[in-house]
Amino acid sequence: MVDIIEMKGIFKIFPPNLVALDDVSLSFREGEIHAIVGENGAGKSTLMKILYGMQPADKGEILLRGKKIKFNDPGEAITAGIGMVHQEILLIPEYTVWENVVLGKEPVKYLDHLDMKTARAQVKAKIEEFHLNLDPDSKVADLSVAARQKVEILKLLFRNVSVLIMDEPTSVLTPQEVPQLFGELKRLRDNGHTIMFISHHLDEVLELSDRVTVLRKGRMAGTLDTKNATKTGLAQMMVGREVIFESIRDEHDPGEVLFEITDLNYTDSNKKPRLQNINLKVKSGEIVGVAGVEGNGQLELVNVIMGLLKPQSGVIRAQGVDITTLPILEKRKRIAFVTQDRANMGACVPAKITENVIMTHHRLNRRFTNFNGRVLNYHQAEKFTGEVQDMFDVQMTSGQAPFKSLSGGNQQKVILGRELMLEAPFILLDQPTRGLDVGSIEYVHKKILAMRAQDRGMLLISADLEELFRLSDHLLVMHRGRIVADLLTEKTSVTEVGYFMLEGKSYEA
Amino acid sequence: MMKIIIGLINGMLASATPILLSALGGSLTFYAGIFNIAMEGMMLGGAFFAVLGSYYFHSWVIGILFAILGSILMALIFILFAVVLKMDEFITGIGLNLLALGSTTYMLRQIFNVKGMFASTEIVSIPKVDIPLIRNIPIVGEILSGHNLVVYLTALAVLVVYYLVFKTRFGLRLRAAGYNRTCLDTSGVSANRVRVISLIICGVLCGLAGSFLSLGVVTGFTEGMSAGKGWISLAAVILVSGSPTGIALISLLFGFTDGLGLFMQQSMPPQFTEMVPYVATLIALFVYSIRLKKKSLSTGVL
Amino acid sequence: MKRKILINVVGILLAFLIGALVMVFQGKNPLEAYYQLFAYSLGSPTKIAYTLNKSVPLILTGLSATVAFASGPVNLGQPGQLLMGALFATIGGLYIDLPQGLMIPLLLLLAMLGGALWSGIAALCKHFFNMSEFITTLMLNMIADSFTLWAISYPFFEKNANHPQTPLITKNGWMPEWGSFGSNVVVMLLAFIIIWFIVNRTTSGYEWRISGQNSLFSRLGGVNVKKNYLAVMLLTGALAGLAGGLVIMSGPHRFIKDIGGNYAWDGIMIAMVANSGVFLTLIFGLFFSILQTGALGMELQVEVPRELIKVLQAIIVLIVVAGRGYFEGLFARMEARRKMKGRA
Repeated sequence: MVDIIEMKGIFKIFPPNLVALDDVSLSFREGEIHAIVGENGAGKSTLMKILYGMQPADKGEILLRGKKIKFNDPGEAITAGIGMVHQEILLIPEYTVWENVVLGKEPVKYLDHLDMKTARAQVKAKIEEFHLNLDPDSKVADLSVAARQKVEILKLLFRNVSVLIMDEPTSVLTPQEVPQLFGELKRLRDNGHTIMFISHHLDEVLELSDRVTVLRKGRMAGTLDTKNATKTGLAQMMVGREVIFESIRDEHDPGEVLFEITDLNYTDSNKKPRLQNINLKVKSGEIVGVAGVEGNGQLELVNVIMGLLKPQSGVIRAQGVDITTLPILEKRKRIAFVTQDRANMGACVPAKITENVIMTHHRLNRRFTNFNGRVLNYHQAEKFTGEVQDMFDVQMTSGQAPFKSLSGGNQQKVILGRELMLEAPFILLDQPTRGLDVGSIEYVHKKILAMRAQDRGMLLISADLEELFRLSDHLLVMHRGRIVADLLTEKTSVTEVGYFMLEGKSYEA
Repeated sequence: MMKIIIGLINGMLASATPILLSALGGSLTFYAGIFNIAMEGMMLGGAFFAVLGSYYFHSWVIGILFAILGSILMALIFILFAVVLKMDEFITGIGLNLLALGSTTYMLRQIFNVKGMFASTEIVSIPKVDIPLIRNIPIVGEILSGHNLVVYLTALAVLVVYYLVFKTRFGLRLRAAGYNRTCLDTSGVSANRVRVISLIICGVLCGLAGSFLSLGVVTGFTEGMSAGKGWISLAAVILVSGSPTGIALISLLFGFTDGLGLFMQQSMPPQFTEMVPYVATLIALFVYSIRLKKKSLSTGVL
Repeated sequence: MKRKILINVVGILLAFLIGALVMVFQGKNPLEAYYQLFAYSLGSPTKIAYTLNKSVPLILTGLSATVAFASGPVNLGQPGQLLMGALFATIGGLYIDLPQGLMIPLLLLLAMLGGALWSGIAALCKHFFNMSEFITTLMLNMIADSFTLWAISYPFFEKNANHPQTPLITKNGWMPEWGSFGSNVVVMLLAFIIIWFIVNRTTSGYEWRISGQNSLFSRLGGVNVKKNYLAVMLLTGALAGLAGGLVIMSGPHRFIKDIGGNYAWDGIMIAMVANSGVFLTLIFGLFFSILQTGALGMELQVEVPRELIKVLQAIIVLIVVAGRGYFEGLFARMEARRKMKGRA
């Protein structure tokens, strides 16, 4: 089999210090289905984006059929015969299937007249050639997500691509729609097309692919023939050596239930259930970790707790009080929230540091206002900023400096400081150390444990298993909107948790 | 009685013309996804340059040509700031409208040495057209024939714009740019290019509308003579969400209320009929927002 | 900070340069013209007083737009709110008569009420029906235009007048003048100080500013964004209404056609250039007033038509705002490049 695409020595760094890809080399054979797997942040998407011309590599080269190539934008990639189907479908819902497919390659007659008849015929021909079972005249808005995905594929086939890159194709499909997609992909492969697909789901990888490459933390963990691979083997390659992570927690007995969710259900505007029957409890003095591959309901859980989304049913209680539908300010009296989304949820980036620090405090703490809460006491605010700076080791010039002048690590420290200094006994942490350097991560972890020692209760959502194992007293695992496991950290293993994350069930079953 | 009705209808067609033309231009930019509020300025610029061209060259053809070129110039300025420099489209539009107002008034002073208004027998206005056989048909003939040339061009423009938007390759791409720019870009077509072209065509149409104001309805240029017609055409575009046929109907309605207002000055103060397009826009926005709200209520988003 | 001042100054200078080129093209001396511009607006105490007087509606509407833009709601209804404020003040001045000490505050309050009412309509449309205030405030401008014209042509028309206008309001409602210095300037400065204080020192002002920059973050922080929105719309409407009231009370003392002139649109322009800065709004408002007042001097002495000023204003707005965006992008790219070099 011929190597159709070779990627050699690819490096990619996102400033200031995030190494996304570290000397990655791999090749793809013509007429194969090649899966690329790895955890979040392993570099899978970045690697494909570089191939597709959406991002430039910092070092390394790419060969297509032996010739060195570099695409500056996806258009060039498509012309060379490589097409990518993204996770978020990029179609025009108001247009029909054929209109979407021919856009950019429309057949015309005299005077730019759109030759609709020919266009429809051409699209119909392609549909039949690849057995895609689509009606060229149906409006994309009326199609199911699976069908829309087919239209995206059709669009690329219409441009005669021979290589198809699929980014998490099953993440938008229901389990019933998956076999159809696989059938189509296998047909394409038998036809001579090359398919690369990025995935988390090991079952699917084993069923569909010919070969599979595993990436871990930006590096190549290995490539193997699928027939030689096992789920446990792959899982291990993905998360790292089987190590009992050193717990750095002291013995600490948890106390009363501080925070409780009962029978929570949330369905989104597309009628897709995102949270199903969520039940959990957090006691004072304990850290409850929530593991799970991103996209399995964690975002919705956070948003429902904080009040940005309204659940269809269920009750959220903090210190015994039903806070499910209370105004957000009321919730904040009982919940501190450290978000992963620094730019949008965690901070007001263009504003000054002090202005960021006193948010919420300004309403909950009389210290910062005069005249019955009407006028801000900037003197106290600045002082408070100084206190946060000391307690959380923030490198900054002054509170008057703009928030955006801080490095990522320091920004997160400020956010952490603001939230932890609220007197709320329950803390919701969502990927609190994402994008931070090792030193900052250590620091944040120490602070989290200090809160535990002070009898505060925490729900820690994280994609970093190492972090979860270090900090949590027990671990919940989320899979497709449900909690599928509740494991004591000391009694479980990375492999077991990893399995629950990927499969939704234990590996004995 | 008949005479009055015929008069009303003819008046309606004449009043509707400048609104309809610039609204058609607005329709194109609307479909392209541009928030274009500069029709007022482009029309005013067109009106001025029309007089300029007609006066110095003693020809209404040159007048129309100058109007179109002048309007295109304004469109290019819009493009420079909003597309190239990526400035906010609204601010650019406001700036352009003010620039048009200021510079036409300035040039009125500098070039013609008058303030307020310039009229002269040297200016050649756009002629009316008498269609040979039709004009003899009773009633219908009096409506269909005898209008200013631009009125007929406008009717043609409606068809042309409709064809352009819905039947050509350009139109497919134009609407795609408005629906989803990124999708168009990744399909290999520059969304920016499409937007720029839509702005230029808008310039052409607004220029023509302007020339009708200063060389058709009256002959001569008055400071600020676009007098809110650009805003009315914006209201028209918003009300029908860009549809050319919808715009044609709405413009006729606006033109009708214009004429009707004059007629009804006994029973209803003219200022209230002036308000109609704006109130209508508010009502349309209300209906639109209610519909949107109903949709989101079923999804649980706070 | 310094960078921001630089961008503003460069923009203004560039606009002046373009203006100078146009003048040269016309065969006039730009230096002479610019000298006359400033001499006419600032050359004597009387002139300064006049310039200050003219700056009042500019600054008040500018403040209205600035506060709105900085806080989130897009209030473009200052022209309409100014007219409604003027109308309310006029009606009050026609039917009520009190001693001056009471009359003036009453009329000012009525003016603010008129403006707030008008912006309130748009605010309620947004609050209950989620109608874009962008469009509603713009449409309400046109409606206010027609409505006030009707009001002064029919119900409040001064009989036997030659054009649409109301009778004079009671003398007790006239803003006192001390020499050529008008007391409306005092009201304007007072309003400025109060607004500055509200925006920069109060809890509400803090919440407004942060909501304007990142409403999601504010919401999560517990800020009642909806309530604040209403408050901002009402306050900014009141400011524009106040401008209208003062125009009547210190100007012709009656509502005449086109009394609003171009003040409110200029005010919006000023807010755009001032980019959410309350103090900067004051400065630019004064500056634009200098330009507009001095334009007449330019015309009388050097025969450069005063309309050039309108062109200059538009150019200043376009260049300063565009330049700001462009330079900020430029600086950001330069920073990013520097970081990449350090990395590799």
